[in-house]
Amino acid sequence: MDRTITITWILLVVLTIITSLFSGMNGINVSIFVIVLAGFKFLGVAFQFMELKKAHLFWKIIIFAYLILFVSIILIIL
Amino acid sequence: MNQKVINHKNVYYPPGGILIWIIILLELVTFGIALIAMIYEGKAEPDQFHDSRLSLNVTCGMINTVFLLTSGFFMALSVKEVNMKGKHGLKKYLPVTILFGSFFLLLKSWEYYEKIEAGLSMGHNTFFNYYWMLTLFHVIHVIVGLVILISVYLGLKKESTTIEDIEASAAFWHMCDLIWLLLFPLLYLFF
Repeated sequence: MDRTITITWILLVVLTIITSLFSGMNGINVSIFVIVLAGFKFLGVAFQFMELKKAHLFWKIIIFAYLILFVSIILIIL
Repeated sequence: MNQKVINHKNVYYPPGGILIWIIILLELVTFGIALIAMIYEGKAEPDQFHDSRLSLNVTCGMINTVFLLTSGFFMALSVKEVNMKGKHGLKKYLPVTILFGSFFLLLKSWEYYEKIEAGLSMGHNTFFNYYWMLTLFHVIHVIVGLVILISVYLGLKKESTTIEDIEASAAFWHMCDLIWLLLFPLLYLFF
């Protein structure tokens, strides 16, 4: 099995469990924490599972810009 | 065996091909706009969104996230095998990928049944309108993804099935992961 992919999968599962532990909590800091962790997981899948790390810089910038814009708009609304 | 090296550093050949990446970007933008609209409306009705969010089953959502991530993990391993051994390398992990994708649909169906039984169907309130619209739209993508993966698996013996086809189907499947990774925290945990 590929080591990088396996480590990425373990990290993604651990981050998912950590995020779920915050389900009973409420507040703006929890919301920010949840969205930032989701952003890291998004990048993990895009760059490792989808092999975006091997792609041209253009595609990396597009996905990264999308995520930054999405998270920024949510934080502005908050 | 149809095997050739694809230079993914070329801007026109991202892993899976440029067409699937245009689709992925369009899907991400569509879901992104809907999620931002939901958060905007949630800001206007915070109590309703918080109470509704609490009636969702976070454990189901978490297990479903793990199912999709595990499915995506085996899909990524399948593509590695294909790159090393040719398209027949797909046989090793693709059935497991399909199995975990099916687990996601089974658990989601049970969750839908639970919500309908509790009277929390579409039209119950603004939060649940977004919940049903976004999750059903995602489920349709998962079903389409599974059909694509099954057809790729069944078509492995055909000469016309290429490594690019396999990479494109893998990219579509991972897109379902990406969308769910945004849906799960924003629907189940955010408000």
